Amino acid sequence: MNGKIRLAGLVFAFVFAPVLLGATGYAEKGKGPEIHAKIGVISILTGPGAAYGEAITNGFKLAQEEMNARAGLRIDLVIEDSSGKQEQALAAAQKLINSDQVVAILGPTLSTEMKVVGPEANASGVPIMGTSTTAQGITQIGKFVFRNSLPEALAIPASIGKAVRKYNLRKVALLYGNDDVFTKSGYDTMKKVSEEMKLAILTTETFQKGQADYKAQLTKIKNLAPDAIFCSALYEEGAVILSQARKMGIAVPFVGGNGFNSPKVIEIAKGAADGLVVATPWFGEKDDPKVKAFVAKYEKRYGKKPDQFAAQAYDGLTLMAEGLKKAGKADRAALRDALAGIRNFHGVLGTFSFDEERDVVMEPAVLIIRNGKFQLFR
Amino acid sequence: MAVDWLNPYHLQVASFVLINTLLGVSIYVTLATGQLSLGNAGFMSIGAYTTAILTTRHGFPMPAGIVAGSVVAALAGIAVGIPSLRLTGVYLAIATLGFGEVVRVVFVNWESLTGGAVGIAAIPQMGRELLASLRDAGFAPESIGLRGNQFISLSVFLILFASTLCAIGFFFRLGSSRVGRAYAAVRMDERAAEAAGIDTTYYKVLAFTQGAMLSGFAGALFAHATSYISPADFTYHRAVEILVFAVFGGSEHLLGPVFGAMLLTALPELLRSVSDYRYIVYGILLIAMMVFRPQGLIDPPLVNRLAGKKAAGGGSRDAA
Amino acid sequence: MFAEQLINGITLGSIYAIVALGYTLVFGVLDIINMAHGEIFMFGAFIGMVIVTKMNAPLAAAFAGAVLVTAALGYLLERVALRPLRGRTGVSHLAPLISTIGVSILLENLAHHIFGAGNQLFETPFAEIRFTIGSTTVYLVQVVILAVSVVLMGGLSLWLARTRSGKGLRATAESLETAELLGVDTKRIITATVVIASAMGGIAGVLVGMAFNYINNQIGLSMGLKGLAIIIFGGMGSVAGAMAGGLILGLSETFVVAYGSSGYRDAIAFLTIIVVLLLRPQGLFGRAAPEARR
Repeated sequence: MNGKIRLAGLVFAFVFAPVLLGATGYAEKGKGPEIHAKIGVISILTGPGAAYGEAITNGFKLAQEEMNARAGLRIDLVIEDSSGKQEQALAAAQKLINSDQVVAILGPTLSTEMKVVGPEANASGVPIMGTSTTAQGITQIGKFVFRNSLPEALAIPASIGKAVRKYNLRKVALLYGNDDVFTKSGYDTMKKVSEEMKLAILTTETFQKGQADYKAQLTKIKNLAPDAIFCSALYEEGAVILSQARKMGIAVPFVGGNGFNSPKVIEIAKGAADGLVVATPWFGEKDDPKVKAFVAKYEKRYGKKPDQFAAQAYDGLTLMAEGLKKAGKADRAALRDALAGIRNFHGVLGTFSFDEERDVVMEPAVLIIRNGKFQLFR
Repeated sequence: MAVDWLNPYHLQVASFVLINTLLGVSIYVTLATGQLSLGNAGFMSIGAYTTAILTTRHGFPMPAGIVAGSVVAALAGIAVGIPSLRLTGVYLAIATLGFGEVVRVVFVNWESLTGGAVGIAAIPQMGRELLASLRDAGFAPESIGLRGNQFISLSVFLILFASTLCAIGFFFRLGSSRVGRAYAAVRMDERAAEAAGIDTTYYKVLAFTQGAMLSGFAGALFAHATSYISPADFTYHRAVEILVFAVFGGSEHLLGPVFGAMLLTALPELLRSVSDYRYIVYGILLIAMMVFRPQGLIDPPLVNRLAGKKAAGGGSRDAA
Repeated sequence: MFAEQLINGITLGSIYAIVALGYTLVFGVLDIINMAHGEIFMFGAFIGMVIVTKMNAPLAAAFAGAVLVTAALGYLLERVALRPLRGRTGVSHLAPLISTIGVSILLENLAHHIFGAGNQLFETPFAEIRFTIGSTTVYLVQVVILAVSVVLMGGLSLWLARTRSGKGLRATAESLETAELLGVDTKRIITATVVIASAMGGIAGVLVGMAFNYINNQIGLSMGLKGLAIIIFGGMGSVAGAMAGGLILGLSETFVVAYGSSGYRDAIAFLTIIVVLLLRPQGLFGRAAPEARR
């Protein structure tokens, strides 16, 4: 009789222990050195931005495997779809924070989503790190908001500055996607930098997401004969613009923003991609064992080269792991403090620090595409 | 804690269900006279932008902003509704679809007013504002056993719930009033209605304006619930989504769009694992509904059966 | 610059015109707007892309494949989303509009799952052939596109006016019941119309791929909405109106960019819809004021 009860108790404990553990999620296990952390991911799995979400979640998953292969840390990812919409991102964040009780959130993908999700996570005391949010005013949302993605405000002055010095640019044409936050804020920075450098802006042209035909804008630009075209576009549109421009006989260099920087540009535009200058946190050809190992592993797993979205995601989760190790426990507040203290972290993006406002401190590399390959622009 | 079950995530989903319910009803109201408007995403954006601009830049209090948003949307509704009178059926649907797109393009391009694609951020969020003013008055949510974020989500939900209830109540009563009977008559046969002495022009514009106003109201609430808006929130896909609510739930009874919006907003949240296929399901739903049950899941006979009445109920259009 | 922009505008306009022809044919016969036409066109472009770029087959095969697949899609559309609604009592005139919106969302998202989210390269050596007149470069593709649109328009007009099946089609358009009484197999005519319109969408899809070198699953929506604007502008059901409307829209979009602001480019189409519907609801070439179709 007694034995039966004990057996029942044992069965009960076995069945419900995982449930209880799962429910409390981030609570300390108490025993053993292992930290068990549940981290939420908000990404775009459906809709027009799904190409970005795919690279990002690939990066997370690869980093997760590596972290879990080591002793002392176990990370579970809870991945939610936002399909690029604010309210879905917010609903996903609410679910992660309150139902899944995650210790931290990675994502969301877009700056627009972060502007909705960030305040919520901040108010709930959950560290949140954007790995692809590059617009201004992201980490200023609150002290729980981080990012490891190179903001346009750092990337664009670097690439424009180098291009102006190297090519002695005087007059330029601006071209940007005006219905997208990312490309629009990239354009704002380009315009500001151009004015500061006293470049003559011959014309400013816009395009819209998913457009197939850029010939009207490009013909106009061609006839104004600029020294270079500053183009704030995501690679999807950017590659097509490059291809149509080169076909039309526009041979001047293109300077792009952060979102233009992807191996996919070469894949889509082929030879036409030559002459594109971008500043980037991520350079896949870097002579660094960490970078090489990451590229090889990623390529083997997913059959393509990692782009910056994948690389930033990969480093984002690694930073989280670093923070967890420093904090010594899967606790939201402790993790925030640990993350905020990270300086000179060595990841695939290079040497990385958070500044006082939890924003990015790093030296972007300026790259140019030559002979169908990204090379350091010297 | 006593109220740990009160999950802000669930309240958040419920809040979006309510906003979508208002949008679903807004398309229903216009349809009550037989006019299909696909411009409700445009009216919604007008409401949202009006209150966002007034509250963030001109210091309007939030309730005034929401009222202003609804009124401006209603004025836009009149401006579109009157010239659209000569259009019927698919022509009206396409013209209003075009209107929605024009509004969006204007919001993208009118940067000095709307911030362009970047949108407007830091719009006062109703829950946070309420909590802040209550805190000033010496009230702490902890005193009733709620965490701060629980209180915020709960108050957003309750405000939206009250607003939605009022709106539904209003249109429910409208349905059985003289106006509602006139709507039904116009929908059944416009010429016959006119011959019977009903001012069809007046009622058609009225229904159009009411739909626009309700969309604007929903948009204003949306702005103050998410605290950030941009033109990307009000695309063609939003218009289609609103249409799906009414078509799926039922466009012949007020409870149809209410039910449709609730089910279709909550369902993808519950089935997040299949949310990859959300729009595929939407597409199939639209086709299947038209083929098998064009009046939608809920129609007046069903409501009457459920209510146990033989005579047509209050909200039924067939009452006329 | 003017000559180049003129060519850009005519190329864009010709493509718009072919897309619009598909709409106008279906509307002319069935009195419904096929909201899925843009997505069928997009499928045609993707099928052409797969055949040309992935399988390295010749261009003719791409046209054949795209036409086959889009024709099949048109047939399915008719069977699944249109025929069940026809002739049923109590079905609102808005039902086919809504069911074809359903088909369009379905196809757009299917294409996303099948072909991926991003831009796909549409590579064909034919698209590289060019010649120079003065300082202006003209691509052979641009000439072909214009030619195809003119041929399709002319062929369609002749077919409608001269052939027996074309006459049957017009009779069906006039009145379904009367045509049936006169011994016209209306069911077959309607199916044929939707299939032919869809196949024309397929041709337009391959032409877009050749002209712009890239396609993605969003072009169906943007081209579809433009096509819609054109038939309203040109007059619903009017073949000449679709052609003229397409060219006018293509040219005005191009010249707004060339001499104005590119930001409002996409608004032109929709503004046109609104203005035309308000001032001249029957459109440029419309037959008569549209009756209250209820």
